[in-house]
Amino acid sequence: MADFLTSTHRAKWIFSPQQLDEKYRAANQRAKQILEKCGATLMEVDVDGSLSYPEPQITAKDGAEKHARTKSLSIEEEQCIRVFYENKLQEVCNNFRFPHKIQATALIYFKRFYLQWSVMEHQPKHIMLTCIYAACKIEENHVSAEELGKGISQDHQMILNNEMIVYQSLEFDLIVYAPYRSVEGFINDMEEFCNAGDDQLQMLKTLQMTARSEVDKMMLTDAPLLFPPGQLALAALYNSNAFHKVIDFDSYLGSMFSRQNSMHTISELFESLNAIDSLVRKYKVPSDKELKHINRKLKSCWGHSTHDESKKREKKSKHKSKKSSNEAQTMPSLV
Amino acid sequence: MGDGGGSNRNKPEWLQQYDLIGKIGEGTYGLVFLARIKSSSNRGKSIAIKKFKQSKDGDGVSPTAIREIMLLREITHENVVKLVNVHINHVDMSLYLAFDYAEHDLYEIIRHHRDKVNQSINQYTVKSLLWQLLNGLNYLHSNWIIHRDLKPSNILVMGEGEEHGVVKIADFGLARIYQAPLKPLSENGVVVTIWYRAPELLLGAKHYTSAVDMWAVGCIFAELLTLKPLFQGAEVKATPNPFQLDQLDKIFKVLGHPTLEKWPSLANLPHWQQDTQHIQAHKYDNTSLYSVVHLSPKSPAYDLLSKMLEYDPRKRITAAQALEHEYFKIEPQPGRNAFVPCQPGETFVNYPTRPVDTTTDFEGTTSMQSSQPVSSGAAVSGSMPGSHVSNRSVPRPMNVSGMQRIPHQAMQAYNLTSQAGMGGGMNPGGIPMQRGVPQQQLRRKDQMGMPGYPPPQKSRRI
Repeated sequence: MADFLTSTHRAKWIFSPQQLDEKYRAANQRAKQILEKCGATLMEVDVDGSLSYPEPQITAKDGAEKHARTKSLSIEEEQCIRVFYENKLQEVCNNFRFPHKIQATALIYFKRFYLQWSVMEHQPKHIMLTCIYAACKIEENHVSAEELGKGISQDHQMILNNEMIVYQSLEFDLIVYAPYRSVEGFINDMEEFCNAGDDQLQMLKTLQMTARSEVDKMMLTDAPLLFPPGQLALAALYNSNAFHKVIDFDSYLGSMFSRQNSMHTISELFESLNAIDSLVRKYKVPSDKELKHINRKLKSCWGHSTHDESKKREKKSKHKSKKSSNEAQTMPSLV
Repeated sequence: MGDGGGSNRNKPEWLQQYDLIGKIGEGTYGLVFLARIKSSSNRGKSIAIKKFKQSKDGDGVSPTAIREIMLLREITHENVVKLVNVHINHVDMSLYLAFDYAEHDLYEIIRHHRDKVNQSINQYTVKSLLWQLLNGLNYLHSNWIIHRDLKPSNILVMGEGEEHGVVKIADFGLARIYQAPLKPLSENGVVVTIWYRAPELLLGAKHYTSAVDMWAVGCIFAELLTLKPLFQGAEVKATPNPFQLDQLDKIFKVLGHPTLEKWPSLANLPHWQQDTQHIQAHKYDNTSLYSVVHLSPKSPAYDLLSKMLEYDPRKRITAAQALEHEYFKIEPQPGRNAFVPCQPGETFVNYPTRPVDTTTDFEGTTSMQSSQPVSSGAAVSGSMPGSHVSNRSVPRPMNVSGMQRIPHQAMQAYNLTSQAGMGGGMNPGGIPMQRGVPQQQLRRKDQMGMPGYPPPQKSRRI
């Protein structure tokens, strides 16, 4: 929508690498402290939407023992988990044959969510599905939670339980700009730039296709949190063109800069394009073995395995029963 | 419920920053309340709080509410209503949107002139209201937003104060961004007043363009002039999306029958094509719009109006073009305060304040102890302290004896404008959290000045 220049996306959700590190570190640190204090980190989203951390371990002996056993995830391990679920997210969207736009929106929601929270606090599987659900709602491709849950044989209630916390964590900034449309815009511009004939139009189509799959790769990195969609699109086209050699990219950029009063120089732009490229190159999917190991740690951080399971079941059974506002408000939560 | 239910006793924290005055509106989406800010910095400032009904079971958070919030988060304009805050009631997952309060709206203003003072709205006011409405609409359209539900009750006007007489376009629950294909309203299961609906929609056009808003503006313009709805068709109530024959007939009667010469794409519109109701049969020839609105056919006002009520949406005047129309260049020129002309000597009307139903609380339940007449609007304005409402809103201490844990706030404020960020809303457990938002605000990585985000359609109407 609207104008990227005045958007919340540009104003609030594009960071420097340092800011990003700081955010990941802060979320990780907080979860670590919770783990030390409570012995587990997973927040419960109750039927009334309120959040709570696990009860602190009071019996000192038991607690101390447990704390010694449970290790928190490192920042890098959290990253692996996010990478895994972002791939899962793409997979689910592909299986549902959702348009690209929805996938991209859901991915950006997921990334933004985990700028505020650690994977130790909110289960990424649930958040991933909730992000897809929210993206469908926003992009007017409404899919009921039930349908979505069925499609992947999950209880849809957890999607609904997490919906509000997702919106809140996104600070209700729900309009996001994916680079796909920007790719389209540049291709249109390039058609004019090279006064393309039929042959060239065909080649530009090929260029666009490859650029789109380049964008797919970028969407799995931190790049969407670091660069505006226009630059991501240009980086994708740059790579795609290096392969197909359709246009003289340098002179295209030159013409672009001469047409507009840019706040940047060409060399600054190239710096960005290179940075984006190196993010894509450095991207790696963790091995199954690594994931298995991290997952085990993560589960013990969540406190899954011990008595918490029964507590969870208890909560679940409460889902259907609507309490009066009075009751629910006086219901205690943990501090 | 007893003495008004738990809502008063266990008043959520966010609600405690307001004095609830009463209910001022009701729609399919939910209820609207008037409240005043208690905090010293903005004490007494009036706020309209729109409470969205919980959406259907299993549907999660109301899509209408979410859509309205997401659009309003991205736009700022003097002639568009300002979203001040979003509050969440976690108990039933309902959302409360807090807006700057506007005392008047075009529906009430028109009604006041028609039923109370029995005199038309003065030309300066009509022109200023129309200009500001177009100004806001031009902003929305240039941001690729179609409102889709413009009607007099959605066009607000600020009451006394710094922004006295300033128009605010409100109610974005149906607004859409129009890069994506827009589904017909009926598919969203929404009922919209048909009087302001553009002929292409009545004839079954599948896609909206910004021209539908301009049609509505034309209808509103005429209504400001004559004090009655221009095309007051009887609505066919059926689902889904019934053919509104009477509404079209009302339009044809005033504007004459549309023809394929004047409106070539008419041939592609489903209801015209099918012609099941014989709408193609030519009935009305004499166009009499100018006599209906009592304007000289040569006047600039008439010229502008007829361009807004152009059948072919592609030929219909745009908001940007309308703002440049001669009508706005001749005397009296439009002003920022639509109520008070710059030139002295003009008489102007004092509009009544909005009626407030002081018997309804935030839960939408009517309290038993008060039975004030609903329509006593004047009694409410400016005389709130001491009324039973503020008495009721004094938070009573909650009985927490025997409980070790601190009760959580079921509702959390989510301050959008102050960028207080994650502070209040996100942290019910009181765990120290990083407050990243202010820094985020400072860092603005500039988008390269490049066609990075192209306009959605290459062929935009000029």
